[in-house]
Amino acid sequence: MPHIICCVKQVPDPETPASQFRVDEAAKKVVPVPGIAPVPSQFDTIGVEAALRIKDKTPDTTITILSLGPESYRDSIKHSLAMGADEGVLINDPALYEADHWVTAQVLAAAIGKLAPFDLVICGRQAVDWDMGVVGSTIAEILNVPCITIAKEIQYKDGQVVVERVLLDGFETAESPAPCVVTVSNELGEPRYPQLRQIMAAARKEVKVWTASDLGLDAAQLKNLVSLERLYVPEVKVETEIIDGETPQEKAEKLALKLREAKLI
Amino acid sequence: MPAPSTEFPGNIFYALLFFGFVSFFVWSVAVRFRWLARAQWINRFSEPIRRAIDLIPWVLGNSRVARPRYWYAGVLHTAIFWGFIALQFRTLNFLLNGIDHGVSLERAFGPVWTWALRPSMDAFNAFVILGVAMAAWQRFVWRPKRLTLNWDAWVILGLIFWLMVTDIFVNSAEIALGRSENDWQSFIAFGFANLWDRIGFEGTGLELFHVAWWYSHLTDFLVFLVYLPYSKHSHILTVAPNVFFASREPSGVLQPIKDFEKGESFGVGRLEQFNWKQLLDAYTCTECGRCTAACPASLTDKLLSPKQVIVDMRHLLEDRMPALAPWTKRPADPGDLIETVGFEPIWDCVTCGACMYECPVFIEHVPTIMDMRRYMVMEQTNMPETAQATLMQLEQRGHPWRGAQLTRTSWIEEMAAEGVEVPLFDGAQEYLYWVGCTGALQERNVKVTKAMVRLLLEAGVSFGVLGAEEGCSGDPARRLGNEYLYQMQAEQNIATFKGKGVQKIVANCPHCFNTIKHEYPQFEGRFEVMHHTEFFARLVAEGKLRPQSLDGLKEKQITYHDPCYIARHNDLLEEPRRVLEATGARLTEMGRCRRQTFCCGAGGSHMWVEESRGQRINHARTGEAAGTGADVIAVACPFCMQMFEEGVGSVPEAAEKGMQVFDVAELLDMSVAYSRAAAEAAADPPVE
Repeated sequence: MPHIICCVKQVPDPETPASQFRVDEAAKKVVPVPGIAPVPSQFDTIGVEAALRIKDKTPDTTITILSLGPESYRDSIKHSLAMGADEGVLINDPALYEADHWVTAQVLAAAIGKLAPFDLVICGRQAVDWDMGVVGSTIAEILNVPCITIAKEIQYKDGQVVVERVLLDGFETAESPAPCVVTVSNELGEPRYPQLRQIMAAARKEVKVWTASDLGLDAAQLKNLVSLERLYVPEVKVETEIIDGETPQEKAEKLALKLREAKLI
Repeated sequence: MPAPSTEFPGNIFYALLFFGFVSFFVWSVAVRFRWLARAQWINRFSEPIRRAIDLIPWVLGNSRVARPRYWYAGVLHTAIFWGFIALQFRTLNFLLNGIDHGVSLERAFGPVWTWALRPSMDAFNAFVILGVAMAAWQRFVWRPKRLTLNWDAWVILGLIFWLMVTDIFVNSAEIALGRSENDWQSFIAFGFANLWDRIGFEGTGLELFHVAWWYSHLTDFLVFLVYLPYSKHSHILTVAPNVFFASREPSGVLQPIKDFEKGESFGVGRLEQFNWKQLLDAYTCTECGRCTAACPASLTDKLLSPKQVIVDMRHLLEDRMPALAPWTKRPADPGDLIETVGFEPIWDCVTCGACMYECPVFIEHVPTIMDMRRYMVMEQTNMPETAQATLMQLEQRGHPWRGAQLTRTSWIEEMAAEGVEVPLFDGAQEYLYWVGCTGALQERNVKVTKAMVRLLLEAGVSFGVLGAEEGCSGDPARRLGNEYLYQMQAEQNIATFKGKGVQKIVANCPHCFNTIKHEYPQFEGRFEVMHHTEFFARLVAEGKLRPQSLDGLKEKQITYHDPCYIARHNDLLEEPRRVLEATGARLTEMGRCRRQTFCCGAGGSHMWVEESRGQRINHARTGEAAGTGADVIAVACPFCMQMFEEGVGSVPEAAEKGMQVFDVAELLDMSVAYSRAAAEAAADPPVE
């Protein structure tokens, strides 16, 4: 009976219109856009899909969704449950809202320890808000299990995990004994659309809520390794020069000279 | 001349023949009726008197069969239809005569029979033969693409033709064998009787001739009867009930799934999950193919054929009937409904309703296709990737426009910068202007939204918008088959409307308009909803908007594209044209206009679903618009706008002449602004 744990983060909608995206530089925070709800991080949902594909082949698999964040994260857990996951756990502790990747990985690793035994932990290759891409491998480090990153396919059979990894110039196949951590990439494919029956069942499913102390952790002892120095929207300056000329030929000639001056051609 | 069956052993033979065939017929009908009884219940008994009255034009009058475009089929069908009805007198008389010579309608009707029925029966014999000949010509020589040219039709035409021939010959023999003074009223049979006399055909030979034709006529009639339930010609039996029980709702309405919590299955994946009217539709289809001949998907080489969908249903039903004999054994596994109809056909439908409008027997193709689409989405999650992405988008972001760079309030901020304050609805205003997702989020349509607001302000209408509080109307989710999401969105909007005291709504999106007006009442949301074209037609008529011929527009020819959900589904045909005429534009019509309009390709949420194959529907329609020679395509729907904007750039005939696309509201706005400037100039002439 394989047990897969999927870590799912909730992020501000990456499709928020650029004109609406604002940061509070003083507070070093992204200002939520009214009317635009946060969504599950895309790579994490693909991770749930990877787990479900294993479950499709091995139906007695149990999939647990694990999330660290405030109450609103429940929506993302429910979405994963609707896709077909079995259980959901939300670690909601106000003391952990500002956690960096290091604290996050420690908390998640502790929760995974509490959910043990497990065969596989699946994370997205990176969260689509901060794009650091380190939590998955840090969890593996803390749990002291192997880690395979950027997967496009995961197969699990009899305690053996076979992963096809995405490389810059192709693919490679890596094998590891379970338990291990795998991070997935979008090459794995589109996450499935939940069946209505499952959406309705997910709405009724209970999501366990834990705090740091439930995991035997002292939130005060958990110190961020990374501190945010400055948060700002970079200014992109575009200088436009209109090239005049009587005829298209003349304009083209002037443009060519300008480009040569700028050493672009 | 008594019938040969009135004496022994003829009477035994007659009784065996008659009861044998009739009981087989009754059994055949009963096994089919059992399927109707097994299907889901739907109440189609409202307004029984109206329904009965409507049978007069629609069934007796053949009014939907004999539409001008199909005049040939109309003439032939009317001839056969009326001939058949009229000849039932003679058939009944014939059958009664068969029992006892004394029992006959001839006696009961007396002089009416002699002077009216006899000549008209023979005339109807001739009409039916003419109709059959026309049908044979159509099937054999003309062979229009819409027809299924199979042997079924030939069997029926043959049986009908033989019925007429035997009828005439039996009569001619009877006349020749027992002359009376009133025989000449049966003028055709009388002619043949005279012919028999002339060639000296009489005595025993003629009597045998009579017996042979008599039994031939009887057998033909009985064979026809038992063949009917097995043929597409069963419509003879089912058309009257099918028309009687036709939906009385506007054609663009889909029925809700009630109580999701208790539902065992959502949508239709098996035959018995259809309602009885949908199965009756399948028994009623005559395979005339007019639906497919009007279907935008079919005409652009996609796999959907509305006719085939209904025929597939019928064949699946037939495969589940008890076997008649070992050699007609039914397949052990009759096949899956969704697989038989097919993935692509179910997803090709743009819900434009052309099929339903064309169908002479009121088959409701669109709700049937949508029921299967619901099943595929909610039970199987079996849908095109683009449909899935749209549903995810709707769920997560509450609007269908993935990647939109605008928000629902961007245009309000822009208008404020232009010096126009857009009022927000707070209950104090008379009308809510429902902007719709496309009107707020797509740059091209924002221009229409702004024109709408300028016109409403100009006319002094008390109105407000919801701004950020507006959500998706739900139409995309419903037409993509996700009824659950639709109901959540509809209920949310109804709650917003009720909370704010909304009573009257103006919308320029026909899809929002249709669902708010006709489908929200399914969830106790009753509001007075108007489309902007009808609203503006009224304001112009009342003199509240004074458009004037615009210099730039006067030279241009405009062709108006009727949106399906305005024209065909909601009968708003003249209002948009009145608005356009008020601007002084010169209107030129496309061949397919008004209720016969051809979808732009975006209906049924196909705005966001990639077309599977063939020509793009919007290119076909843009080509048609370019063919009118018009310079401008006027639209009244944000999706049509998107489709034509793409079309005029891609279709060479349109691109070469630089065709432009405007919403009716934009043209009216230009014209009103022009006339206001002219009026101001006249009132306040510039000082030299």
